[in-house]
Formats: sequence, structure tokens, C-alpha cells
Amino acid sequence: MSEARGGRTAYGAASVAAGLAGSLLLLFLLAPLGELVAGSGAGGVRRLASDAELRGSLLLTVLAATAATALGVAGGTPLAYLLARRDFRGRALLAAALDLPLLVPHPVAGIALLLVLGRDSALGSALLSAGVRVVGTPAGIVCAMLFVSAPLYVSGAREAFARVDPRYEAVARTLGDEPWRAFRRVTLPLSLRGLTAAAVVMWARAVSEFGAIVVLTYNPKVASVLSYDRFTSYGLAEALPVAAVLALLALVPLTVLRALRDGRGTDPGARAAGARA
Amino acid sequence: MIEARGLSARAGAFELRDVTFQVPAGAYGVVIGPAGSGKTTLLETIAGVTPARSGALLLPGPGGAPRDATRLAPEARNVGFVYQHAYLFPHLSVAENVAYGAPDAEAAREAAARLGADALYGRPVAALSGGERQVVALARALARRPRVLLLDEPFGALDPRRRSAVRREVRRAHRERGLTVLQVTHDFTEAGLLGDVAVLLDAGRVLQAGPPEQVFRRPASPYIAEFLGAENVYAGEARVLGPAAPDWEDGEPGQLALGHRAIEFRTGPLTFYTVGDAPAGPGYAVVRSEEVVLSRADAAAGASTTSARNQFRGTVAEVATLGALTRVTVDVSGVPLVAALTTRSARELGLAPGLPVDAAFKAMAVHLC
Repeated sequence: MSEARGGRTAYGAASVAAGLAGSLLLLFLLAPLGELVAGSGAGGVRRLASDAELRGSLLLTVLAATAATALGVAGGTPLAYLLARRDFRGRALLAAALDLPLLVPHPVAGIALLLVLGRDSALGSALLSAGVRVVGTPAGIVCAMLFVSAPLYVSGAREAFARVDPRYEAVARTLGDEPWRAFRRVTLPLSLRGLTAAAVVMWARAVSEFGAIVVLTYNPKVASVLSYDRFTSYGLAEALPVAAVLALLALVPLTVLRALRDGRGTDPGARAAGARA
Repeated sequence: MIEARGLSARAGAFELRDVTFQVPAGAYGVVIGPAGSGKTTLLETIAGVTPARSGALLLPGPGGAPRDATRLAPEARNVGFVYQHAYLFPHLSVAENVAYGAPDAEAAREAAARLGADALYGRPVAALSGGERQVVALARALARRPRVLLLDEPFGALDPRRRSAVRREVRRAHRERGLTVLQVTHDFTEAGLLGDVAVLLDAGRVLQAGPPEQVFRRPASPYIAEFLGAENVYAGEARVLGPAAPDWEDGEPGQLALGHRAIEFRTGPLTFYTVGDAPAGPGYAVVRSEEVVLSRADAAAGASTTSARNQFRGTVAEVATLGALTRVTVDVSGVPLVAALTTRSARELGLAPGLPVDAAFKAMAVHLC
């Protein structure tokens, strides 16, 4: 009897400790952003009307992130499908290699990109002679964003494909579909919500990138670089509106992700599997 | 027709090895085997979803003549496949599912009407029950008008009334269109009812293939016999009795059943009498419980007057009734012998534990393997 009471007391104490630890972490994560948006959000939005540089950098950020995401989706989707569906030698190694850009410090990523795309590199000089300059141009920003955020898309897309039972595709094949047609008619619609979520995560990560971009292309300035530039040149007061607008921009993908996850339920494929269970 | 010749395939860690069997054109084949024996992998290999690693597979070509389909893509095999879990496309409507692979709208309409799937057109796929999903999946497969239909336990999710109706429709489609069907089932009754050919699979290998009657009555091993539900399997030694009376009588050589010899099989204290072509030596005897006849032991009775060669006196050890069938275990000199009776017969005989009974079965009911 007393043993049971003791167990309940220990469970209660552990629950309180866990709740406290979780609340502290939540406060730590949200308080700075909350303070930033609450204190400077309105000022930042007002500043958009008068600050042409801020407007330009935001537009550049959004366009570059969208271009990087488009490139990531185009190249990452087949790669993710391959990793999710095919069993081949070196698959684990390939998956690990794809995660590598997420693990290196981002300025290091920028330096690595500079080595490959800079004017002294074979590729960089070939591109220059073809009239394409990467470093110090919006193309450099897209490259930096692509490098640091594409692994997130590949990983998310891989999970989205893996959630669709390959037997749906098998059935489509027995019903006369060639592989590409089965992918387009069955696998793609069934994984579309997961793929979209992965693309949104990639886009959000690209928008927030700083370290790799600052090495590859300081000018023209994306919003994160502009925020840093104003902080170092003019102090906190000047950096706050830019930072607040960037924080507000982060709410866009967050809202889209929530809509994807909650708005219309889960993936149709996952729903079908649930119905079977 | 479906003909597998030494077919091997791998699905993950599971391996299908050296599978050989034939389902003639227009015949209905059933695949039976324990869970994890490779039944679905076999169907997937025939459908081309799982590639064959070696061996050959013959399927009907466009004109119906057999052709080598071992390396053909699934979409080129003209094979319909219905999985156990239906795998209806959840992003499409029921009507779109049925029409998915149909050559024209009429084919989809006919298949849906045949199986009653058209009654489900107004409902979303996610709202269908397991049985309804199976009906739609069957209609979807038939709408493509395949020459071969592969069914992975298609009737399992159906309620009994709908099961017999859908089974009848599949059978009708099979007959009318000359479809060659291969169906996985766990239901031995279904296998016996539907099948022209039974393929018994275990651990990725074919243990036995042939007419269901042969597989059920003449299992190739005691393992198969027990898997197929034979309860009386005995280890012992067979001895071939000589060509002399009373076991043998010479006749017109052409009229003699070749290889049929009288055989005595000793198992513990019992001796069975049988006729067949089994070799002498150690082996197993299988007697299906439905072949055993019980009667009240009559102490006053003298010599037997029945034609059953195997007669034993024993005591009822256990009576287990399930619906119209009753299983009675008789202790014959310490050896259990199970008889399957109708519940009515068991009641009329007043069978109860401890009651002395006579058990009998014909020599032809004993199968040696």
C-alpha cells in the first residue's frame, strides 16, 4: 500500500520536474523572438515603407530562397525517391553524405563553396569565361542557400516517399502504368503534402541563412546580411526593425506547415494505411 | 497458363527458391502455406513487381499463347493483382479506382456492375469497409481484362454472405473469360472448392503441387499432412506383403492397377493395412480424421462383417464439438486416433469419455509418405 503511494509520489515529482524543464526551454526559445516581434515588429513593418534597401533585400531574400528551393526540388526529388525506394550498395553512405552540409559550420560551407565556385577554381573560371559570375552576385546567394538547405528537402522528401506504401505503385504497374506514369499518377499525389512540407522547410532554412552567404556574396545584401550589417555599422536600434521583419517572415512557412499538417489531415497514403489497420 | 520453372526471387531478406509448378490455361490455382512462407512474394514475382533472379516464368501472350514473361515489366504482363489489403488509391474516387487501368469506360462499368462496386461510387474510398475495398479492388483488376488474375487472400475481409457472392462472381469471370487464376488462401475448404491446382509453399519453396484432392489426400510428407490439418499422422515401418492370397490374386495384367501392392504398416502396438506403391521401410502413415468411422463397441459381436480392413477397439478419450462437427479422440492401446463426425452422429451414439468404441477405416484411407 505504502509502496504504491511512494511510487505515485515519485511519479508526481518527476512530472513536475519534467514540466518545469520543458517550460523553461520553451520560454528560452520563445522569449527572445517574442520580445523582438512585440518590441520592434510594428516598427519594422512601418520601416518597410520608407526603407528601400530593406525592401530590396527582402525581395532578394525571397526570390533567392525560392530559386534555391526550386533547384532543390528539381534535383532533390529524384534523389529522395531513389533513397526511399531503391536498395543499393552505398545507400547509407549517400544518405550520410547528403546530411554533411547540415553539420558543417555555415561559414565553412561558404568557404568550401568559394573553393569550388571562386574565380581560381576550374568550375568558377569556366563559368566566368561563359559570362556567368557566381561569387558576389545573386547566383552566389542562391548557391549558398541551396547548399545549406537542400539536404533538409531531400531528407523530408525521402520520408514523404517512404510513407507511401510501394504496393500502391506496384498495383498501378499491374494496371498498365509505366514507372514514370505510376509515379505521376499515384506516388506523387500521395506524397505531395509531405513533399510540399519539405520544400517549405527548405525555403524557410534558405531565408534564414547567413554564414555561407556572407562568405560568398556580401553584396547585394539579403535580409540576414543587412541585419548584421546594420548591427555592426549602426548598432542595435538600426538592426532591430530588420531583424523583426525577418522574424515575422519566418511565420509564413510556419503557418503553411501548420496548414499542411492540420488543415486537411495527413497524407492520403497514411490515411489509407490507417484505415486498413 | 502460369508456369514457373525453377523461379527464384528475393524480397528483402526473404528468398523464393526454385519454385516450379503449372496452372493450365483457364484453370484456377490456389497457393496455400503458413504465414511467411512466401505466398505474396510468389504472386509479386509472377506479376513482375518483384524481379525474378533466376528461372523462367511463362504467361499468356497477347494471343493467349504462352510466352516467356520472366523479364517483362509488370505493365506488359497483362496480369491483374488484388492484394489482401486492396490498396485502393486513396486520392481517387471509387469510380476512378475501378476505371484506373480499364481499356474503356464500358469495361469499367461492366466490372463494377458484375461485383456490385458501382453501388459504392458515391462514397469516398476512406469510408469503405475492408470488404468493400476488396470488392472495388477486384473490380479494378477485372476492368483491365487481364488474362491472368492473381489474388492475395481476396475474400478474407468479406462477410460470409458477400464472400460467397463475390467468390461466385470471380469464379464466373474466370469461367466466362477463360481467365487463369492463382489465389492465395488460408482456407483449406476454399482451396478444395475453388482450386484445380493447389501449390503448397513453405519457407519460399514449393513442397507439393497438384490437384487439391491429391495434395490433401496424398501429402508428400508428414509435415504437409499436419499443415493441411491431418490429425492422424503416425511414424512407423512399412512392409510390403507378397503377391499371395489373401492379399493378392492374379488377373489380367492389363487390368491390374500398376504398382498397387498390399502393405502392412506397424506403428507402436497398431498395424495398419493399406494398398499403394510406397516402398518398404520407415515412413509415416496419414489417416484423415473424416475417414475414420466410429461405432459403439458391441461385446457380443464376433468377426467383423464390414469391408474396412483397419478396425480397432478403443476408448473415447475426448469429445470436442464445434457446430455441426464433432472431433472424437479415441485411445487405441495408448495411440490417439481422431475421428471427425457430425454432431448428430456423435449424439446418437452417445459418445462420451470412457465409452468403449470401435474405430474403422478403409485400407485406401491410409496414405504412406
